[in-house]
Amino acid sequence: MIPLYFDPGTGALIVQFLAAAVAGFLLFYRTLLHKIKSIFGIKGKEEDDFMDETDSKEKQE
Amino acid sequence: MESKRNTSSFRDPSGYVFIEDNKVKRIINPIYFEQYKALTDSGFYKTLFDKKYLIPHQEVSKTDSKISIEASKILFVNYPYEWSFLQYKHAALLTLKIQKLCLENNFTLKDASAFNITFHEGKPIFIDTLSFDFYQENNPWLAYKQFIMHFLGPLILTKYFGQDHLKTLSQNLEGISLQKLSQLLPFKSYFNPTILTNIHLLAKYDKKYESDKKTVNNNLSKASQIKLLDGLYDFISNLSVNEKTEWDHYYNQINYDEAAYQFKKEVVKDWFLSIKGESLIDIGGNDGTFSREVKDVAKLIIVADVDPNAVEQNYKQALKNKEKMILPIVADVLNPSANYGFNNEERFSFIDRVKDSNLDGCLALAVIHHITLSGNIPFSLSAQFFSKMAPNLLIEFPTRGDSWVQFLLDSKREFKNHFDFYNEENFEKEYSVYFEIINKQKIASFERILYSLKRR
Repeated sequence: MIPLYFDPGTGALIVQFLAAAVAGFLLFYRTLLHKIKSIFGIKGKEEDDFMDETDSKEKQE
Repeated sequence: MESKRNTSSFRDPSGYVFIEDNKVKRIINPIYFEQYKALTDSGFYKTLFDKKYLIPHQEVSKTDSKISIEASKILFVNYPYEWSFLQYKHAALLTLKIQKLCLENNFTLKDASAFNITFHEGKPIFIDTLSFDFYQENNPWLAYKQFIMHFLGPLILTKYFGQDHLKTLSQNLEGISLQKLSQLLPFKSYFNPTILTNIHLLAKYDKKYESDKKTVNNNLSKASQIKLLDGLYDFISNLSVNEKTEWDHYYNQINYDEAAYQFKKEVVKDWFLSIKGESLIDIGGNDGTFSREVKDVAKLIIVADVDPNAVEQNYKQALKNKEKMILPIVADVLNPSANYGFNNEERFSFIDRVKDSNLDGCLALAVIHHITLSGNIPFSLSAQFFSKMAPNLLIEFPTRGDSWVQFLLDSKREFKNHFDFYNEENFEKEYSVYFEIINKQKIASFERILYSLKRR
């Protein structure tokens, strides 16, 4: 590993675990909501990807 | 052979950038050889090039003590404090996309500076070839704090307090401090779980462990880090800013009838063809309506405007129409970005970068009356400014009979007489110091004149 030219911050490294857990919960909730909506035929707005990648949305769980 | 080390490139010991014979080259030091070899041999560099995530490079020479590569040249490097909200968002999202792709290929971004991104050929692109390192299983993202300080911080401040905060990095080249960011945000931001964890809690932990330099590893699985990245991606994609600017009212006030509008478009096109140009800067170019007239013949059109909403509108249009040649940036003629950083040589001023790009033409439509009458800039000084932009200038001069000019003059109240100099004769006299008048066309039935000028 290359030594960093800046301090990554001990706190910032620790807190990522918590931030990831919360993000995981939010993503789960969003997916669930999306599924419920799709049962009723409600589609979310589709936006074009700014890098012209069609698969980027699917990649995100 | 002229060779000059780039004065912005000194932070990372892995290597540095220099300019040689007008080419952008990068020296890689032995400390980074292993990474460079892995990135090249695994094909990951190529993947990044193919996706247009990273500026392409080619190896030029290789010895035991250094490897030299040449990168594709970017004609006009632009900085975070020159982007509209949507551009800033896309730069942040690209950084997250790259980090995610890195993880999938067992690499990681070792830094996440917003200066690692610039807009090129219509899209954001990562320009720091040596920012990649090997991913160590279950290690957290070392650049996470930097990402928040450079990207999420300014974006959130903009959401709550307006687009002035997009310029945060001009005053804080290392990003906004987490403590300050957390303190500035309103109480309601605590109820947003993403802001709560990624800003408030982060600031708290950062403070708590300030003097503790212990190593933290093995606390975050790759799957969790991807969740963290996806969460940030999702949150940033959905960020919006609701701030009306002058531009939003512009087309209701615009001082043109259809015929005059078309005439102006024709003149712009004819002028650009006559100078046989390839590159253009449009000062006060709004959403790029007029400079788009030359998009089929130009390689680069920088459309600079002070209004972030106009710039954003232009960027959206350029993305939608895949107009690679159009580069919308936020720039204030009355206060263009300065030389920032150590020795004043780290981030270059707007004028220095324009000069370095050797543009062929400059367009200045419906802008001189604002510069002169709102900015109180004498003709001699604005002429000097425009002479630095390009050798050819097409400038529109609204005469005193123009209703906008009248409005601006009336706003001067008792000071109005001070602007008696604002007329055609004085304009021509002062501009003749820097330029030769090639052509002068009146816009029919209109109080405006289009001058085609050539730098002396």
